Amino acid sequence: MKKIILFGALLGVATFALAEDAAVIDPPMEGSVTVQQGLDAWSRIHDVVSHPRCANCHTGPSDRPMWSGPSFGAPRQHGMNIRAGESRMGLEYLQCSSCHTTKDENWDNANAMPHAAPRVAMGWALAPMEAHWFGRTAEQICAQLRDPEQNGGRDMIELAEHLNHDLILHWAWAPGGGREPAPYSLQEHVDDLLDWGVAGMPCPQD
Amino acid sequence: MEVRVNGNTHEVDVSADMPLLWVLRDELGITGPKYGCGIAQCGACTVHVDGVAVRSCQLAVGDLAGGEVLTIEGLGTPDTLHAVQEAWIEHQVAQCGYCQSGQIMQAAALLDRTPAPSDDVIDAVMSGNLCRCGTYPRIRAAVKTAATKLQEV
Ligand code: FES
Ligand code: FES
Repeated sequence: MKKIILFGALLGVATFALAEDAAVIDPPMEGSVTVQQGLDAWSRIHDVVSHPRCANCHTGPSDRPMWSGPSFGAPRQHGMNIRAGESRMGLEYLQCSSCHTTKDENWDNANAMPHAAPRVAMGWALAPMEAHWFGRTAEQICAQLRDPEQNGGRDMIELAEHLNHDLILHWAWAPGGGREPAPYSLQEHVDDLLDWGVAGMPCPQD
Repeated sequence: MEVRVNGNTHEVDVSADMPLLWVLRDELGITGPKYGCGIAQCGACTVHVDGVAVRSCQLAVGDLAGGEVLTIEGLGTPDTLHAVQEAWIEHQVAQCGYCQSGQIMQAAALLDRTPAPSDDVIDAVMSGNLCRCGTYPRIRAAVKTAATKLQEV
């Protein structure tokens, strides 16, 4: 793992290391999930993607992360006039990692301090523009997620693998500092995604 | 563990999760970086790590991973000030001074990356550095003067 991270750092590219708490990707048999079960799975997926731990950094065309959720009162833009820029990492302005520093992968109480900047074992960043969750409806997000043009050309397995590799996303279930975690668990979220995929990616508006 | 600060190597015997700011101030006696909040809210502790502005209260010393730390003590010398320090004196930016080492380190990092920043960029980059004395207008003016100086050399 260290070698992968080092290699990534040398190349100057984003490093995606598989975390120890990674989920198992085990899709159900083709045809074994009904459309209704797929819609139920979608509803739980929506509970996750619309949760502040996820949506706050999925702000679409805006390069401003949001602060919202039980500890924030009314939703508002991230303090300090933060702009993530086109890089989505703040390279054009103040780097996200100036405060959201990159921690060692084995350091598990790094986010114990309330109100401090969360940190993970990869460079902090805003989600890509196409992955727009904040302020959008379940129907809109569902349509986006099943459209290869808008989901990075991923099928359901690739979506699940993507969830497994993104350590910022893993943080959503263990945010520390008194923050409310995203609902369910990473494994349940991956399972729901696979069920939804096998059911044919149904959306409430179909 | 070894820590590189301002071109020197120091051996420190601390736990890996100690914030870099604590190591600088309490272990090494490098007190330019200031403690304001300890939770990334004020910017008073800003230093550079491999040229990038970092809140040293948010970086565990163990996560430095061999990075080169630069504090205000290493930015310029009294004889050869950094352009940002010169501009700060010309504009008499500081009031109480507590936030200023962080402001200067943040401004220097900004100009390294963006040699001629617009007001919009200056405001976006410098907004994470609070000044309880409200020296913001002078900070913005001094950043512009420093940018001009750096382009002349
Ligand atoms: S002391 Fe580090 S940001 Fe305030
Ligand atoms: S000069 Fe006093 S806090 Fe900035």
